[in-house]
Amino acid sequence: MSSLSGQGAGKAYWRSLEDLAGSVELRALAEREFPEGVAEEPATSRRDFLKLMGASLALAGATACRRWPVERIVPFAHRPEGYVPGEPVQFATAMDLAGAATGLLVTSYDGRPIKIEGNPLHPSSLGGTDPLAQAALLELYDPDRSTAPLRIARGQQIASSFEDVERFSRELFRQLRERRGEGLRVLSEESSSPSLREMRSRLLRALPAARWHEWEPLTRDAAREGAALAFGRPYRSWLLLDRADVIVCLDADPLMTEPGAVRYARDFARARRAEGGRMNRLYAIEPALSITGASADHRLALSRAAVALVAGRIAAELFLRCGLPLPGGAEELRHALERFERHPFRPPLVTDIVRDLLAARGRAVVLAGPGQPPAVHALVHLLNAALGNAGRTVAYAPDPDPERESHAESISALARDAGAGRVEALLLLGGNPVFDAPADVDFAGALGRVPHTIHLSLYVNETSRACAWHVPRAHFLESWGDARGHDGTLSVVQPLIEPLYDGRSPIELLAHALDDGVTSGYDIVRRTIAPALGGGDFEKGWRRVLHDGLLEGSAWAAETPSPVRPTWAPALAALAEADPSAGPGRVELVFARDLSVYDGRFANNGWLQELPDPITRVTWDNPALVSPSTAAELGVGTGDLVRIRAAAREAEVAVFVLPGLPAGTMTVSPGYGRRAAGRVGDGVGFDVYPLRVGRALWRAEAEVVPTGRRWPIASVQDHHLIDVLGMKERGRRAVRLIREGTLADFLDHPGFAKQARGHEGELPQLYRPWSYEGHKWGMTVDLSACIGCGSCTIACQAENNIPIVGKREVARGREMHWIRVDRYFSGTADSPEVRFQPMTCHHCENAPCEQVCPVGATLHDHEGLNVMVYNRCIGTRYCSNNCPYKVRRFNWFDNHRGLGPVEKMVFNPEVSVRSRGVMEKCTFCTQRIEAARAEAKKQGRPLRDGDVEPACAQACPTEAIVFGDLNDPGSRVRRLQDHPRAYGVLEEIGTRPRLKYLARLRNPAGSESGRA
Amino acid sequence: MSAGASGRRLFGLLAEFRSPEELLQACRQIRDAGYRSWDAHTPFPVHGLEAAMGIRHTVLPWLVLCGGLAGALGGLLLQWWTNALDYPLIVSGKPLWSLPANIPVAFEMTILLSAVTAFFGMFALNRLPRFSHPAFRSARFRRATTDGFFVTIEADDPRFDVEGTEQLLRSLGASAVEWLEDEED
Amino acid sequence: MAEAVLDERALDNTSDDPRRRAPLVLGANDLVTITDKVCRVPEAPRMPRAWYVALCVSAAFTAVLAAMIGYLVFTGVGVWGLNRPVGWAFDITNFVFWVGIGHAGTLISAILFLFRQSWRTAINRSAEAMTIFAVVCAGLFPAIHVGRIWVIYWVFPYPNQMAVWPNFRSPLLWDVFAVGTYLVVSVLFWYMGMVPDLATLRDRATTRARHLVYGVLAMGWRGSARHWHRYEKAYLLLAALATPLVLSVHSVVSFDFAVSMLPGWHTTIFPPYFVAGAIFSGFGMVLTLLVPARELFGLKDVITLRHLDNMCKIVVATGSIVGYAYAVEFFVAWYGQNEYELFTFLNRALGPYGWCYWTMVSCNVVLPQLFWSGKLRRTPWVVFGLSLVVNVGMWFERFVIIVSSLHRDYLPSSWGFYKPTWVEILTLMGSFGLFFTLFLLFLRFLPMVAMAEVKAVMPRPAAEEPEHEVAARALAGRGGSGEPT
Repeated sequence: MSSLSGQGAGKAYWRSLEDLAGSVELRALAEREFPEGVAEEPATSRRDFLKLMGASLALAGATACRRWPVERIVPFAHRPEGYVPGEPVQFATAMDLAGAATGLLVTSYDGRPIKIEGNPLHPSSLGGTDPLAQAALLELYDPDRSTAPLRIARGQQIASSFEDVERFSRELFRQLRERRGEGLRVLSEESSSPSLREMRSRLLRALPAARWHEWEPLTRDAAREGAALAFGRPYRSWLLLDRADVIVCLDADPLMTEPGAVRYARDFARARRAEGGRMNRLYAIEPALSITGASADHRLALSRAAVALVAGRIAAELFLRCGLPLPGGAEELRHALERFERHPFRPPLVTDIVRDLLAARGRAVVLAGPGQPPAVHALVHLLNAALGNAGRTVAYAPDPDPERESHAESISALARDAGAGRVEALLLLGGNPVFDAPADVDFAGALGRVPHTIHLSLYVNETSRACAWHVPRAHFLESWGDARGHDGTLSVVQPLIEPLYDGRSPIELLAHALDDGVTSGYDIVRRTIAPALGGGDFEKGWRRVLHDGLLEGSAWAAETPSPVRPTWAPALAALAEADPSAGPGRVELVFARDLSVYDGRFANNGWLQELPDPITRVTWDNPALVSPSTAAELGVGTGDLVRIRAAAREAEVAVFVLPGLPAGTMTVSPGYGRRAAGRVGDGVGFDVYPLRVGRALWRAEAEVVPTGRRWPIASVQDHHLIDVLGMKERGRRAVRLIREGTLADFLDHPGFAKQARGHEGELPQLYRPWSYEGHKWGMTVDLSACIGCGSCTIACQAENNIPIVGKREVARGREMHWIRVDRYFSGTADSPEVRFQPMTCHHCENAPCEQVCPVGATLHDHEGLNVMVYNRCIGTRYCSNNCPYKVRRFNWFDNHRGLGPVEKMVFNPEVSVRSRGVMEKCTFCTQRIEAARAEAKKQGRPLRDGDVEPACAQACPTEAIVFGDLNDPGSRVRRLQDHPRAYGVLEEIGTRPRLKYLARLRNPAGSESGRA
Repeated sequence: MSAGASGRRLFGLLAEFRSPEELLQACRQIRDAGYRSWDAHTPFPVHGLEAAMGIRHTVLPWLVLCGGLAGALGGLLLQWWTNALDYPLIVSGKPLWSLPANIPVAFEMTILLSAVTAFFGMFALNRLPRFSHPAFRSARFRRATTDGFFVTIEADDPRFDVEGTEQLLRSLGASAVEWLEDEED
Repeated sequence: MAEAVLDERALDNTSDDPRRRAPLVLGANDLVTITDKVCRVPEAPRMPRAWYVALCVSAAFTAVLAAMIGYLVFTGVGVWGLNRPVGWAFDITNFVFWVGIGHAGTLISAILFLFRQSWRTAINRSAEAMTIFAVVCAGLFPAIHVGRIWVIYWVFPYPNQMAVWPNFRSPLLWDVFAVGTYLVVSVLFWYMGMVPDLATLRDRATTRARHLVYGVLAMGWRGSARHWHRYEKAYLLLAALATPLVLSVHSVVSFDFAVSMLPGWHTTIFPPYFVAGAIFSGFGMVLTLLVPARELFGLKDVITLRHLDNMCKIVVATGSIVGYAYAVEFFVAWYGQNEYELFTFLNRALGPYGWCYWTMVSCNVVLPQLFWSGKLRRTPWVVFGLSLVVNVGMWFERFVIIVSSLHRDYLPSSWGFYKPTWVEILTLMGSFGLFFTLFLLFLRFLPMVAMAEVKAVMPRPAAEEPEHEVAARALAGRGGSGEPT
């Protein structure tokens, strides 16, 4: 036997921790007959609830949606206004999320939005999107959205009407006006909408005694305060990553979670392709394993508290050693930095970072994340200013709302006043504070003390249930509004459809409260934007804004503020006390933003719930992430339920062991464990908001106690894979699947990826290959650019009517996504490197799936697409068995049964909905190819490169996916497939894939050829 | 032709023998006596009986050969016409017509048609099924499928004459001889 | 009754004394007693209680099978434990398992016939019946494994309005033709062999109904020498055709795997390996059925210890061939140094499904070696026990080949794990129910021993030895008549 065991080649890759630890209990696991958890069944699954659904919905909604909006909205494409039945039309709009908007183009089909894409003109998108924007469509058609106003008394929900609401609120506000608004409070989410700000100031002018509060659970106030400390007043800052050669992220995730992340990812990736031998270098020091950290050239896992040590140390090196000028009169700062220098903890990487920062003055940027204290942000601003990066790689503009108090203060003040009975009426514009307010703020209790409460919300959520009135909120795709991008670019949010449930937008609700004549969102937005459009023909300008989706040149004027005297030095000095290692039994609780449900508001969105987390590959859950060492210390493993105690409060969470996390920390993402999210989101995951208290909302000291119980975790990768044998083999294999090299390697031997392959050149063919005249479709994926965000997966799901199957089915390995992003780890458990590999149908020219189908249901067409004939398929699954890439998906059940009329509206009419017992898979978006072909024919021209863009390629923020005609020598895809970095996965088995990958490049310090 | 006891036409004579060996002997004699339309009945195939009775070889094998050839040809034609001619499709980048992939089906078709021919050919040549036969009227003849060995000589044989033939049979050592009456016509 | 007076020693015909041919039928049996012995069963007014018990149990499981199939058809294949990557498991495992069982019958009746193995006459009838019932069970699974059974007919090349045809490159389609042909030919062969015995039953019939039914089935057979002549020719031809057929069927079944690209399936030794396995499992099942049957129906002197002895020898032989195949697979994996294949076989033996692999090896290779001992070969209960072991082992062989190859193929990211649901387990048990129900009904109503053929090999008091030999060969139905000896 021993002679049979192969010898590992090259770098040892592994897919998850079960692998790396070849430990005893692992072997025990390996011997266990079946993996844990698969058998258990969670309370509800998407499928179950689909069955419950039936046609229980107000058909009124379904019919209303076909009405054309009263206001004229302007198609994106340059064609005479009006609408051609059955012709998809694109409209520009924008999605505002917690104060930063992404410009979108929404495809509408007979007045029914069916697909969301990024707006190429919008600076925050450039055509890309993140998964949240893609999935907003499903939220629009969510049958669980509230459909009518409710009157709620003692937990009883009584159906009401807008007439009642208006009658009530008219009376209420009349009284309030008499008292100049005394006792009126408004609680709003963070929003970038100028109209909302306008309405706010009007309200406060009309009712001067009223108070406006703002609350965002995932608040970025630390950055705001940091800027205020550094520059004397709050500043907004945004990045110009395309100009940055060196990027140092201190607990920051600019590629995924910062406002403008989609744009940042694009800029970042452009500089990762080593064009002209240039490539940026990314350092990440972070407590969680973020998307940015996964793409970093150097990553250091440190507890959130200890990140400050690195920041301080870098600053100390630069200011004290390398003679970077300290701002005048900064003695305390000098002392503070000296304390960092004296700190026993010697963080690695600092020397490299300092050297690179100095070498790249004005071409580098240092970043701090929302989880870092204001002092660190202030220090970062100081560094960027001193290095001359400010204004070059990072831009500043005064915060549009300098007066507002911090979210934490605001919500606690509100609760305090309410508790003291000082609040007469409370108007909640969206949000869900009862669920997500800091645990030490008893918001529910406070609400109980407020006589009149009105909650505007998409869903009847936890907060609605505690209020007196609930008013359905209009989705952003069905209401007028406006918003600003991460750089301040102004967009108009135009509705794609009449409100399905006759909801109201916040500005409309405020307008009604104000009762000053202008009540429709349309008029309010036009009134707000009028000054910005300046003189000239308003209608003309207005139409241009609607058409483009943004107002040209409306970005904030960037300025370069000069740092003021660092009064914050003592606060910084205090951070030097941090101890990178937490005490035994206790852990540092790190709160991270969940990439699917955000703060919990998207918990009822099945697409997002089923989108695997890029790093853990877990769906339908928010397990607490711990490093292997910490897990061993706590005596827990993946799937074990633990009780977390922090600030005298408890939460029960399942553990997931993940490499690359600092010892002594536990990462949790709030937003799950909803109690009133809807049929999809209720009871999914664990509610960890109770563990967030006070001002420091992003970290907590906690102790962790195992409960001895277990929880099924549905991961789309790894969790079956529990034996040492398989782990070793995967390590040997993955090097050939994901080829990578350093920039230096590439410059020395551009073809390094090809040399890594078993044998050179084309394999001999038994038969003469088919020649594909005309078009010959192909695709490339640049692994150097891919950051693994998962936008492609959701975009594909939305475009191709891919069903949601639920946690139980995912646990059984039956998820339906046509394109998945495989994730591999390499290196050590403490500092692993992460690889992503988008995997979809390779449209092999010698497709193994085709010959084995007894009924010829899968075949090649004359352009080389591997097509699947759904209504010919009888479901033998032989094709899937014979597919080496395992990209085929089988409909084990009738996954679309029981969809209500509104839910069905989300379907793309160009793509057939597959029934039970049918195999399906990526089609290279053949419907888009046909549409483009028809369009070209109409215009009497041949198809041009770029005419056809599959959903995945379109959504990709980093342009990693390129599609086109391989017969067109000028096409991007042709050039990329001929690129020295290009290689095919499993080419050696003779499948002749049409999908090729570009080997991943990295630029670690030391390969100096990287920086010209 | 004289009439049988019940007045029906005489079909022939039925003679029983004690053992296969006696039967073989008798058959040789009857054959040499030049009888044409006569037969022997045994519970199991007795070796040498064909020779003893002078039965010619059956044509069945040739029929089966034709069946087999038809199967092979049909199988190949079916596959060629359906996959390569009538509805050509690009499958796994292979040519429309490549023999190796078509061998199994052609082979099975060959076997199928040969076997069917052999089965039905045999019964057809034996004029079976035939549910009524004069011999079935004889109680004794029932043992033909258990342990009886019989000879029947039919009345329409040119050499048949009631006394002479019965004499012959008795002389050949038949343990019993009886008249078989024909079906009513 | 005859066997009452016979003690086991008298029934021992397993001596290998070269000077005299061991008798194939024992005791004071003549043509009449043999006929009585065999016909007694279908003619008996009542069956032994054991038979009724067995029938009830089997019928119950058949009902379970029907229920499971109904559930599957109305709900979807999702009710099974299948997933991606494991798209086949119990379904195709059961299919291959039953087809394999089905091979013994044809082998005994056709191949042993061509090899002039006269001893086959006592068992070929029931073995052929077993073949047919096994193939029926086998055919069930490919049909239901698609879930939407109402579209399964699309695999047939029938002219249709869309002018689409099946894909003749697919091994699954080859299966359709191979298994279909096999079923037809087996039925013809079985029925043809039964016609003379049906005639016997007809002539012994005491009631009008029996006379009518058996009469129709016997097609008016009257033992005419001219008929026997063509009959023997046809029988010989069918045997000659069935022999390549039986070899081809399991080769084609093995193509389902050998023709694919999956490491662990893509193996050139599959055809001979599968055929050997089929014979192995087939004889295992024949023994499982006949050891109790000969006790139950007092046929010890027809289905003698010598028969068991011979079959055990075949079992140990084929079992060892299969074991050799297991070894060769590993050797080739190592010798070929294909990293994927290498891993597949390591994983097969040492991975999560290792326990299945070792069950298979011990049941198919190790335990059957006990049959080297003649004593054990001639001890019916040992034979019965080991035959069960063989059945288990061969089911696991197919499971191991299918699942352990599928669950970890090329891309580690898509590796998975399969575990059956109760639906699949009950479906498997139900298929056994169907099989035994059919077989019990066969025992009840049809002659379970080919009387006409046995009679031909019986030592008859009247006949001297050479004559007996002649008869034996007469049965062997060689073509050209009239040559000496």
